[in-house]
Formats: sequence, structure tokens, C-alpha cells
Amino acid sequence: MGYFLKKQNLIPYLAHLNKKYQVFVPAKNHNGATCFEEFSGQELCLKERTLYSVKDLYLPNKEREFFFEKKHGSCKIHETIKHRPRIVFGVRSCDLHALNVLDKLFLEFYGYDPLYKNKRNTSLVIGLSCSEPCETGFCASMGTNKPDFFDLFFWEKKDGYFVEIGSPSWEKLYHKKFFEETEEKKGTPIEDCKLELNTADLEDILEKNFEHGIWNSESKRCLSCSSCTEICPTCHCFTVEDNFLLDDSGTERYREWASCQLQRFTKIHGAILRASRKSRLRQFVMHKLSYFKQQHNVHLCVGCGRCIQVCPVKISLVDIAEKIRGEGNA
Amino acid sequence: MHEYEAPLKPELAEIIKVKSETPSIKTFDVRFVDKKLQKQFAFLPGKFVMVSVFGYGEMPISISSSPFEKEFIQLTVNAVGNISNAMHRLKKGDLIGLRGPFGRGYLLQRFRRKNIVFFSGGCGLASIRSAVLAALAKKDMFGDIFLFHGCKSSKELLFGKEIANWERRNSLNACVSVDIPEKGWKGHTGFVTDLIEKKPLPVENTVVLMCGPPVMVKIAIQKFKDLGFKPEQIYASLERLMHCGVGKCGHCNIGREYVCVHGPVFSGSQIEKMHLEEG
Ligand SMILES: Cc1cc2nc3c(=O)[nH]c(=O)nc-3n(C[C@H](O)[C@H](O)[C@H](O)COP(=O)(O)OP(=O)(O)OC[C@H]3O[C@@H](n4cnc5c(N)ncnc54)[C@H](O)[C@@H]3O)c2cc1C
Ligand code: SF4
Ligand code: FES
Repeated sequence: MGYFLKKQNLIPYLAHLNKKYQVFVPAKNHNGATCFEEFSGQELCLKERTLYSVKDLYLPNKEREFFFEKKHGSCKIHETIKHRPRIVFGVRSCDLHALNVLDKLFLEFYGYDPLYKNKRNTSLVIGLSCSEPCETGFCASMGTNKPDFFDLFFWEKKDGYFVEIGSPSWEKLYHKKFFEETEEKKGTPIEDCKLELNTADLEDILEKNFEHGIWNSESKRCLSCSSCTEICPTCHCFTVEDNFLLDDSGTERYREWASCQLQRFTKIHGAILRASRKSRLRQFVMHKLSYFKQQHNVHLCVGCGRCIQVCPVKISLVDIAEKIRGEGNA
Repeated sequence: MHEYEAPLKPELAEIIKVKSETPSIKTFDVRFVDKKLQKQFAFLPGKFVMVSVFGYGEMPISISSSPFEKEFIQLTVNAVGNISNAMHRLKKGDLIGLRGPFGRGYLLQRFRRKNIVFFSGGCGLASIRSAVLAALAKKDMFGDIFLFHGCKSSKELLFGKEIANWERRNSLNACVSVDIPEKGWKGHTGFVTDLIEKKPLPVENTVVLMCGPPVMVKIAIQKFKDLGFKPEQIYASLERLMHCGVGKCGHCNIGREYVCVHGPVFSGSQIEKMHLEEG
């Protein structure tokens, strides 16, 4: 036995949750791009995974870390405000896995990040199944097609959702008015992805082919626009900057997304350590498919295919990796 | 593993003394405002702290004082850009922020009874000085101690008096070289890496601890290897752009390593496997 939520009950259910929580749903932003927006009764975009991932909710493009208050020659450090507890609805399997990778980095690895923890620990996640494979996705190859790390997961059925329970916190999301008991079973993950990537020993194969010719040829097309790193659900690099407040009451510290595709990312003492496009494109692909796996035993790529989707010159890390496997040093 | 639970939040520290070392380098004696923190603050030479100059930002700076000095911490800062120049404008009594200590330092305790060759260039002597002070404080633990240091000119020689003192007291064998000699300079001239072949060094039972500009590190490692040193006898501190110090911002990533947490001190055998020059 499990639970079922009828399609016509979805909006009322989200509205109910919204009374106590800040609810985020897949919807269009002011530019018409799909992303996670605060629920306001707007039309939901549930047909395909969003262009922007859930990353943006936990690691916003720009956020304030601290505020340093200056008074009578002394200084006080204020941490940034607490957040309302959150519920994020409609997170696809690939993005659930992306959150898991970010959790490793921002909650476990060498101490936690208070800003990330603040938002992450007060939020519940409701996953949503995919009925069609994405145009540029390869989640089945990465093993991220199987949902995990959720509180509830909604498997889409003909006239509603079968609700799978994933964590002890699920009861906070349960409401008997909307959930009915059912004999239905959960669905099956997407297996027929349009792209395929052989990940067997991939991290070693790429490492051994650090000087493969493809880095040269592909990077000749790359524009260093950094769209790929911006859209990636696991790209998390940031730059920290201080500002003075106009009224001179103190200063504040911001952090902002940074991209390894830009020269300034590695600039020290007048030297740029990754000065060429070749080295920067290689850094992106290697971090996704080799380095992180070597460090944390999980790939930093979840196969969502967003980088391939947005790249203006159609550079594909799947093509690069497959070509290296085909022709490179074993 | 880590001293702070939430490692991004700086702690306030007061500047208690400022000393000009060279036209562009100053040493700051700083002390945590929180007395308990100051007492607890323990570090290995080679580790670094993230220094906040409020309103300007945060930068990684090695601790240049001895780990046995409990009253204050010394930071030796070269004015090269925005934050470091802002730091140079600070005076006694001003407050800065500190996080750390971060990274892996020189594991002196592993080098019991070994000869140590300290090797530095420019401001790299800051972190090496901490290690030298620690080694000299426990001199009986080690064999012969050597110090090679290079800088652009005699005006820019960091800790010159201190080096002379160490030499006079026969604490160590020092060898300082300047790239471009000025009038009255009696020491060596030329790149510090040129001294490696000239100065007779015991290879057996010796370790090399190194910190300096990337070119110096690269050439020095090669020359020590040519002399017969094995990569695992050499340790070098690497420099990368750093915005967090705790393995999150990504700037210091080289291959599978994050220099801020897996380094900055790496062994020669680790360095051989790293993609130091990516082009
Ligand atoms: C582990 C570690 C220990 C260090 N210890 C010391 C020390 O003891 N004393 C000292 O004077 N300096 C040290 N540095 C270098 C110091 O961090 C930089 O000089 C400083 O960040 C420059 O900041 P800025 O705002 O003044 O310069 P910016 O205005 O940011 O830039 C000025 C110039 O310095 C370069 N730069 C910026 N950040 C770094 C960096 N992290 N490493 C190297 N170059 C950089 C810039 O590319 C630019 O060319 C250390 C660096 C690392 C990584
Ligand atoms: S999106 Fe494409 S062109 Fe832009 S930086 Fe990434 S790989 Fe290069
Ligand atoms: S300094 Fe941020 S990851 Fe190393």
C-alpha cells in the first residue's frame, strides 16, 4: 500500500504547504526560462526538467555572507539572516543527485558552509519523475536516473502521482485531505536516454589523456562564455568580495558565482595559471568526469545535459569523453 | 580535522605591532580579541590563515611566527594588490579578521635526526621562517640545518638581520643570493637555484622544505633531483588563488587536489603527479 495524490489536488496541496513554508515550484521566470520560482499560484512547468537547476536556491548567484558592523573603533560580525523553512517541489532525479553532491562539499568536506546549511537543513524536497528522456540528457549512464535523497517522490501516473516516501521527515509533508491510499506501484526510472556515456574507469582514462589532441581542437570552438558552468547543477565555485556600506556603518562580504572558464579564475601575481581555452575547457570536463570522482568517489556530473543544451557552439562533454575512450591511451 | 565548526566566519584579531621589513613587506603581530582563542590557537609551520581586511576582502597569508609563540601570531605581508595594500595601511590597534589555520604544513616532527635544507624565494621566506624557528627551538632533534634564500635585491632581503643572527650563533648554514646586486653586497649573486650545485649538501638523510614563486619551485625541485634527492625527500608549498581556504570555492583546485586543504605543502612525489602547468 502507498499514497496517491490526484492531479487536480496538486495546486491546492502546494497552496496548503505554502501556509507554513516557503514553497518553490518549477515555473517560468520573467525571461520565460524555466527554473524554481516561489509558488504564487502560477502555472507550473511540469513537462520537462527546468533549464535552471535547484542549485540556484541553495547557492544563489550572489549572496551576502557577513556584515561587519563598525562602532566606536570596534567591530561586530553578524551572520546573515535565517531563512523561512522551505519546500522545493518538482525536483527531478538528476537534480536530487546534484544536491547530494553539493551536500558532500558544503556540509561535510572540511567543515560546513553556514549559508548553505541554513537553507538546506530547513528545506524539504519533493521529487518528480520524468516521463520522457531529455533531449541532451544521459542520466541513465551516470546512474542518476534512479531517484534518491528526497523526502517524498512523486511518480507521475495517468491522473495523479504515486507518492514514494524517502525520509523520516516525510510526515511534515503528509496531509490526509490530499493523500489517498492506493494499490498502485511506483514507476520506473528513465532508461532510454538519447545520449550515452560509458563511465567505466572514465576518471583514469581521462587522467591518462591529459594531453589528448581533442582538448586543442574542441577548445578552438569554445567561446569561454561560461554558460556551461553557470547552468550546471553542481558547479559551485565562487569568488568572495567585500564592499563598504554607503553610510560608513560597516562593510559587508559577498560571494558570487565564479567560472573556471574565465581567465581571472586562476590569476595570481600577474600570471594566469589556466591562460589558454584548452586548459580551461579541460578543467571543466576533468572536474566533472575525473577529478571529483578521484576525490569523493562520485562524479560531479549528474548527466542532466544542461551544459550541452546551452552551449552556443554545441561542445559536448559526452562527445569528448567518448572520443578519448575510443582513441586515447588506455 | 578542523578547528572551526563553521569555517567561513572570521574571528576578530587586533594588530599589536607593525614592522617594515623591506620597502614592500611588513610584518604584523596580531592577537585574537577573544583571549581563549589566542590561547588555543595552535598550528604547524607552513599552514596559513585567511586574513580579512574589512571592506577590501580576504587573502591567504602564511603564519611567519614560531608555533611555540603563544602570545601573538605574525603575518608577513607583501603589498602586491588591493587587499595587501589595504593591510599595509593598517596601524597598531586596528582590527582584522582571521580564519584558520588551514591546510597542511611542514611535518617537522617526521624529520627527527634528519638534516633539513630550507629553501625560499622572496616572500616565501615568511612560511619558511616559521619552520626555521620551530626547528631551531628543538635543534637537538635534527641534524644539520641549511637555509637558502633568494630575493631580487639586497633592499628586498626579508629577515636579513635574523638570518645573520642565526648564522652568527652557528644555528644554521645560511646562503643568501640576490638577483641583482647593489653596492656593498657581499653575498652571492644570481638566482638562488644556482646555489644548489655550488654548495656541498648531504643528500643522504636530508629533507628539503621549500616555498617561493612557481618558477623557483619548479627549477629547484629538478636541481635537487639531479643531485640525487628522491622526490619524497622534497616538500614544497604551492601557491594558488584562494577564496575560501576550506575546499569550497574551487579556485585552488589542481587535478584531484585542493591546494587549500590537501596542501599548500605537498611532497615531491605528489607534485610529480600534478598538472602544475596547464598552459
Ligand atoms: C597558501 C598561501 C600562503 C600565502 N602566504 C603569503 C604570505 O605569507 N605573505 C604574502 O605576502 N603573501 C602570501 N600569499 C599570497 C597572497 O595571498 C596574495 O599576494 C594576496 O592574496 C594578494 O591579494 P591582493 O588583494 O593584495 O592582490 P590582488 O589585488 O587580488 O592581486 C594582486 C596580485 O596578486 C595576485 N594574487 C592574488 N591572490 C593571490 C594568491 N592567493 N596567491 C598568489 N597571488 C595572488 C593577483 O593575481 C595579482 O597579480 C600566500 C598565498 C597562498 C596561496
Ligand atoms: S558553454 Fe560552450 S562555448 Fe561556452 S564556455 Fe562552455 S563549452 Fe565553451
Ligand atoms: S581556496 Fe577555496 S577551494 Fe581552496
